[in-house]
Amino acid sequence: MEKKGAQRSRIIELLEEHGGMRPGVAREVSRETGVPEADIFGVASFYTLLARPGSRTRVCQGLTCMMAGADRRMQELRDSGVEVEPVSCLGQCDRAPAALDDKLELVAGPRGAISPVREDQAMQLGAEDDASYAALARAVEAGPEWVINELKVAGLQGRGGAGFPAHFKWSAVRGQREPVRYVVVNADEAEPATFKDREVMLRRPHLMLEGMAIAAYVAGAKTAFIYVRGEFKDCRRALDRAIEQATPHLDRLIGGLEIRVVEGHGAYICGEETALLEAIEGRRGMPRLKPPYPTESGLWGKPTLMNNVETLACVPSIVGRGGPWFHALGRTEPGSKLYCISGHIARPGVYELPLGITLDELVQEAGGYVGTPRAFSPGGASSGFLPMSERGVALDFGALAKLGSMMGSAGVVVLNDTIDMAQAARWQQIFFEDESCGQCAPCRIGARVQRQAVDRWIDGKNRTGLAQVEEVAWEMNEGSICGLGMVASLPLQSAMKYFSEDFQ
Amino acid sequence: MNQLIETTLLLEIDGEQVEVPQGETVLKAARALDIEIPVLCHDDRVEPAGCCRMCLVEIEGQRRLQPACTFKASAGMKVRTDTERVARHRRGLLSLYKADHRLDESGTPVSRGVHDMLADHIATYGTGPELEPVNAPRVSREHDTNPYIQFDPDACVVCGLCVRYCDEVEAVSAITLLGRGASTTIGTADQRNLLDTSCELCGGCIAVCPTGAMTEKPSLEQPTEQIIRSTCNFCGVGCQLDLHVAEVPVTIGATGGGSSTGANLPVGTKKKITRVTSPEPGTTVNDGNLCIKGRFSYEFIHHDERLKEPLIRGADGQLHPASWEQAITRVAEGLHGVKQRHGADALGFVSSSRCTGEENYLMQKLSRAAFGTNNCHQCAAT
Repeated sequence: MEKKGAQRSRIIELLEEHGGMRPGVAREVSRETGVPEADIFGVASFYTLLARPGSRTRVCQGLTCMMAGADRRMQELRDSGVEVEPVSCLGQCDRAPAALDDKLELVAGPRGAISPVREDQAMQLGAEDDASYAALARAVEAGPEWVINELKVAGLQGRGGAGFPAHFKWSAVRGQREPVRYVVVNADEAEPATFKDREVMLRRPHLMLEGMAIAAYVAGAKTAFIYVRGEFKDCRRALDRAIEQATPHLDRLIGGLEIRVVEGHGAYICGEETALLEAIEGRRGMPRLKPPYPTESGLWGKPTLMNNVETLACVPSIVGRGGPWFHALGRTEPGSKLYCISGHIARPGVYELPLGITLDELVQEAGGYVGTPRAFSPGGASSGFLPMSERGVALDFGALAKLGSMMGSAGVVVLNDTIDMAQAARWQQIFFEDESCGQCAPCRIGARVQRQAVDRWIDGKNRTGLAQVEEVAWEMNEGSICGLGMVASLPLQSAMKYFSEDFQ
Repeated sequence: MNQLIETTLLLEIDGEQVEVPQGETVLKAARALDIEIPVLCHDDRVEPAGCCRMCLVEIEGQRRLQPACTFKASAGMKVRTDTERVARHRRGLLSLYKADHRLDESGTPVSRGVHDMLADHIATYGTGPELEPVNAPRVSREHDTNPYIQFDPDACVVCGLCVRYCDEVEAVSAITLLGRGASTTIGTADQRNLLDTSCELCGGCIAVCPTGAMTEKPSLEQPTEQIIRSTCNFCGVGCQLDLHVAEVPVTIGATGGGSSTGANLPVGTKKKITRVTSPEPGTTVNDGNLCIKGRFSYEFIHHDERLKEPLIRGADGQLHPASWEQAITRVAEGLHGVKQRHGADALGFVSSSRCTGEENYLMQKLSRAAFGTNNCHQCAAT
């Protein structure tokens, strides 16, 4: 029961300011905000960066980094007297094995490649960022209905992972009776193997901001939130600079837009849209039940238009060059797409290519395979693994879904024949167990059951857990509240299905 | 305002039609048909959360199973609770809960509290895969020395009902969901002793806990043989109490003043209150709620030193049993004596909040009409 005047949305930043979950901090933050002390302590305990504060080196234990020897790196650091904490994927798979220093800044390493600028790209990461806000001017001139129609013609699908047609959300928010609406940019990129939004924010922040401003204009929102991953300090700085440059244009074209950047604090689940809203409101990032959807009842119960960074970054070119132009960029589905690729390939990086290319084409762009490829994960940990016999499948939303996998965030990892697929599955299951929010039992308990099943196999060649994987996965899929629990068994299930020899 | 006109709608559950008011949930509609939908995290006094996943049902047009406790009924809706999909889900979910729960020697989930819903659901709906215990790394508050409330994290299903009750019904917010993922449990700020938090020790968390993870410390291992309905007389609200009574062994050294024999020797049995609960929510004035006094202050009832008859101090300085007539006569003499020597305003009358309104009225009447002083007070007045 919220006390009148309580300032809940401030508690996470205050917890960070006071040094995280240390004795007495919850009481102090309670005094400053009027939110009950226990509640604040519970919030702090949810977010890794608040629950385990302190100066230490955080080494990524994501799939790509483990394949690249993150274990060795951790050992070397420990041997040299450095305090080390293994953490979930840092979104730096092009720098594998990646690490953050004691100030949460990236430990320098070679940065991944991007594709050369071509005419058939909607985002052109390699081009100079355009701060003219000409597309916003055009949107304002043509009107909101025109913009929504262009999105529809463009066939733009949400680039965060679900592939939901963008225009549905935009028109749904626009059609609400409630006059107060919000726009939220989901920049909490944390799906293992994914680092495309990071590159957009670093290289072309105006592209995203302009897309966001167009969204705010169409939705009738006066405030926009950008929820950016806390480990992306460099992105935060790039955004702050760009927002300053954008402000005069926004004032001139749409009478101003309040932009609030909110940092994440180490919880993958906050990439789930309703968990993200909970985090902005100052709660534990536990997904809400849907329906109602955020378009109807989102931030503080108001209609909320939430899009992924890349989705918004596509909008200026759709407005500027038209929906049909964007639609034609794709091969099997509309538009061009940012593919992240890492693992056993020559040049890890972010490549903008027609939506629906094959793995071989993507790897060719990335300099070719390293060693003999055996498996690939097409769209982050949530997509599981596919065997190389599926290398010809179109990397798009529809074709991958038909295979029981998913396009997800297009974070592609290639694994060659030096990798034991049971081990690869274990790394992914560790991720899901660590990142389950714990709200619902199917995911909270199921993710642990699945991780222990693969542990027992690898550590003791005990098959009892493996025999239950399918039934537990069925229940996790049926019973979980959100998508995390629904897909959290996929790495192990798919590894067992396609690479059964590694489980014999 | 059209909210004043209650409109109803018709829906179908397991092939049976039911008419419910607009805005009703599927769970309540099912109850109207006496169709049992199992729950763990639900209580009518708090907002439904849909997080225990026990009440998921099939709803036509919905791709996913939906929680009956939050899903609103709509006209023409078709709900099924009796399909193989729902049954398989219940078994699968109960398997997971069981793998995460403290079990007794027979493999049944342990409950030390008033509800044992996990074991009940397993007995009714069965389990799916036989899973190994997951040994979730939950923190406990074993150092918590509060006298009344004990929490066993390994008997907890993390439904959060206690947290929501503490916040939404009591507005106390002393406890919280703590941690994340498999380690999620119930905690306090800085994991302090409940006595050092906003907790009022009302014990509502115990009453709502579906699996007895929250328990009354004084009632641990205590049986219930009989339940006697009574009215709490600590204040004038009139809360109804269910006194749980049992014959329990009496030992030397356990009670009684001062004698330290070292060992507690059984010397027989005695009828005693072993636990106090509230009647079911929605059935009495207190709606399932109690306060610290009503729930925990019952020791006096069977206490060895409880006064059961009037005592008058004799010339020897000792208290001696007396009849009520003797006692009242003695009091009257004393009061009249003070009034004669010092006047009526030398007297003062204080009555107890444990008296009824009528008794309190009579007390002030005695003060004003019989003795002639306005010096009267009742201990709950300030």
